[in-house]
Amino acid sequence: MTVKIWNFFPREALYECYQCARCTGSCPAIEVAPALGPRETILKCLNLGHDEIVEDERLWVCCTCNVCEDRCPQKIPISDLLVALRNSAARRGNIPDKLEIAIELLAKTGRSMIVHQLDEMRAHHGLAPLLPVPIDEVREILKKTRLDEVVEF
Amino acid sequence: MKQALDDLHKGSNSKDLRIGVYVCHCGKNIGGTVRCEEVAEFAGTLPNVILAKDSLYTCSEPGQEQIKTDIREQKLNRVVVASCTPRLHEPTFRAACESAGLNPYLLEMANIREHCSWVHLHDRDAATDKAKDLVAMAVARAALLEPQFELTVPVKRSAMVIGGGVAGIQAALDMADAGYKVYLVERTGSIGGRMAQIDKTFPTMDCSICILAPKMSEIGRHPNVGLLTLSEVKEVEGHIGNFKVKVLRKARYVTDGCTACGDCIHACPQLAPDEFNAGLSIRHAIYIPFAQAVPSRYAVDMNLCLNNQGIVACDRCFQACTRKCIDFAEQDQILDLEVGTIVVATGVDVYDPTALTELGYGRFPNVITTLEFERLINAGGPSSGELIRPSDRRRPERVAFLQCIGSRSKRSNPYCSNVCCMNTIKDALLIKEHWPETEIFVFYIDIRAFGKGFEDLFQRARREGVTFIRGIPGEIIEDINTGDLTLLGENTLLGSSYRYRMDMVILSVGIRPRSDASVIQRLLNLSTDTDGFYMEAHPKLRPVDTTTGGVFLAGAAEGPKDIKDSVTQASAAASRANILMSRGEVRIPAVTAKINPDKCSACGLCAKICPYHAIEGSKEQGYYRVIEAMCQGCGACVPECKFGALDQAHFTEAQIVSQINQALAHSPERKIIAFACNWCSYAGADFAGVSRIQYPDNVRIIRTMCSARVAPDWIELAFLKGAGAVLVSGCHPSDCHYNNANQNTAKRVEKFWKRMEKLGLNKDRLRLAWVSAAEGTQFAKVIKEMEQGINKLTPLQIEETKQKLAKRPSKKGEPV
Repeated sequence: MTVKIWNFFPREALYECYQCARCTGSCPAIEVAPALGPRETILKCLNLGHDEIVEDERLWVCCTCNVCEDRCPQKIPISDLLVALRNSAARRGNIPDKLEIAIELLAKTGRSMIVHQLDEMRAHHGLAPLLPVPIDEVREILKKTRLDEVVEF
Repeated sequence: MKQALDDLHKGSNSKDLRIGVYVCHCGKNIGGTVRCEEVAEFAGTLPNVILAKDSLYTCSEPGQEQIKTDIREQKLNRVVVASCTPRLHEPTFRAACESAGLNPYLLEMANIREHCSWVHLHDRDAATDKAKDLVAMAVARAALLEPQFELTVPVKRSAMVIGGGVAGIQAALDMADAGYKVYLVERTGSIGGRMAQIDKTFPTMDCSICILAPKMSEIGRHPNVGLLTLSEVKEVEGHIGNFKVKVLRKARYVTDGCTACGDCIHACPQLAPDEFNAGLSIRHAIYIPFAQAVPSRYAVDMNLCLNNQGIVACDRCFQACTRKCIDFAEQDQILDLEVGTIVVATGVDVYDPTALTELGYGRFPNVITTLEFERLINAGGPSSGELIRPSDRRRPERVAFLQCIGSRSKRSNPYCSNVCCMNTIKDALLIKEHWPETEIFVFYIDIRAFGKGFEDLFQRARREGVTFIRGIPGEIIEDINTGDLTLLGENTLLGSSYRYRMDMVILSVGIRPRSDASVIQRLLNLSTDTDGFYMEAHPKLRPVDTTTGGVFLAGAAEGPKDIKDSVTQASAAASRANILMSRGEVRIPAVTAKINPDKCSACGLCAKICPYHAIEGSKEQGYYRVIEAMCQGCGACVPECKFGALDQAHFTEAQIVSQINQALAHSPERKIIAFACNWCSYAGADFAGVSRIQYPDNVRIIRTMCSARVAPDWIELAFLKGAGAVLVSGCHPSDCHYNNANQNTAKRVEKFWKRMEKLGLNKDRLRLAWVSAAEGTQFAKVIKEMEQGINKLTPLQIEETKQKLAKRPSKKGEPV
């Protein structure tokens, strides 16, 4: 299913970019992680259209520390762009396996990681076992965000 | 001739009106959108119109000839030209009328280009209908026009230049050489300005002070120049040709006898950072700004000196001075100058990059600005021209320049600062010239080498080994042990990230308007553009004039520019001022207010609000009168009169009412009546046209000189006629071209809102908007918003407004 990202991000803001690269230059992860970088992301959106980007798995590398947005001289809401792109990407099936597993887990157990081994450890430290999660409620919230359209659970 | 003119005007006073209408195609500018033939044909059917023609270019020689011929042969006594904005060609057509023997004030223009064809590009029908409406309004007004005779006022043959940088120096010299007395007012202790601080100029690599110093000394010895340093303009009164200026001349505490020997400084115990060296060295409380200073005299900085407030606690400098030139008793003085023209050359500040914390300026000693670098590499600077880095005074081997610091950014200055690219290239070459083994990296976004000789210099720098890297570093990290700097960023052309270790980083900072630019702006009633620089009267054709008559702009105060452009503009400003002074007189537009003594009850309300104190009189005298030479023609007094005794020439009550009536003759409920002041809002609407910003076609703009001329009666009349909405727009508060006359506008509109509120009417239908000449977008936005309001209106609401407002019949001129 195609979602036009311009419903979620003002396309006009892209034209503010003059490719000074302060954003990618500020990125604390760019030297070690195979990420796209905000500058390239914006340039590709402008020149190639966002279809090109939403197919790219490097979209998921960023951990949204937002330093790029903080330093952008043109105040481009870079994190909003990333959220819009990821929404679109996920709906086209471009979503990392690990994220898919985490969502599935969240929907089934109410937690994004497996925790049953933790009970033993907690008991060892004298802590009470974790309370059960109201799974139905969690599933309802997830469905309201229409995450079930992206990942089956 | 005079007799003939009188006859003509007598004719015009009777019902014998003969109006000629000329609809201009302006090539495709109007003709591409408006069906001009149809408009002309329509104009022919209007009352009193004897002939109506359309022509390709009415402003052309044949176009003007046609008007002249028709005036003579068809005995036209009114001319209506439907073309561009009157701010452009009104003088042209007035001159044409005058040369054919018609009083120039019997011309009326309909603005069907900026206010019609350019803003309704995609709707030929709507644009044509609107053009017809505008022409009909113009014809209605033309019928009521009366001949006016302009007053001639003498122009004093003396000038004042504010600011002693290179622009001010050039302007002062040009006017002084032409034979006029010039007062050069400079705030600091010496003239020279920014150019004196710079080491070399681009693209020729001349020594900056070497070429400036001769001009500075010429100022010092020119018999026609009165040089006032340590002086500030405090008050400006009067008008074109006749300004009365008060200048505060601060005490220097050092008399004329000073030979600048420098014996005093060694005696002085007080120290402070040296402003001229960008804070990189220290100076004493008694100091001379720099070696080549003009006047070549020391001065005492009383903020630093121990002898504050007249108490002499330390006299070491006095003892050291062999010529006894130090006088602590000296007082600040107020000087009264009378000048005919003023040139504003107040220059610029540099951007302070402290706010960009990721670059570490202010925290890392080896990160400096370009201005600091200029002083470092200058032989007269703190390091005697040795390039050293501040942390360890070692010569840097790897130097980085960062471009666009504080420029082209929504976080600081949105504009390009114009000079930084070439300045950096020049600086890089300077380093290469002295220490060729230095590695230089320039981090840039775009290199803008647009001027004569600029590209050559850029290519030379590349060949000399300067590395240009596209991509501004995102972060600078300092090694606290060595003071070295690591630059992290992305090379956008290679698409790879970089990490460079540098010994020193130079931030190529942008330039910005003076932080106190608003002081001079208010004193002289100037406008500023959205970036805060002083605005020229027309960006293309009157680039050194301001909207205030007799005041001209020179140098970077008008916008970022390099030395050559500043000097060019200074000469242009001087030449414009010289025209006024050599002619010795100037004609004042005949738009002054007039009081009918028979109706005047001598209440004095008008005199109270006149921003120019141009109305005199008293209860005893029985009436008030307008002093015509002092009246600037804002018209603020007219709506103030409760007795209808006041009116403004060429913007009479009857003329404007005729425009309102005509504008609302058809489907008034769809219409927006917009009153716009000549200087800001009308110009802002023009600017929307020039920028081709499209907005709804139902607005009808009526021009007044100042928004304060807008009478509450007119607003009421518009609503009584069933207008959908009314807009009153003027200059931003404090930007008013008539000494804040527009504060009356705000008061009157607020009063009308209150009345609407009391009557239970929707007060959103009356809007007050401040629109400057640069805010075309803002004007369009306001109109779009008002259009949305109109769309929600019901016929019932309009009828209700009519009835409720009509209940209290307001007397002529009575404020509601």
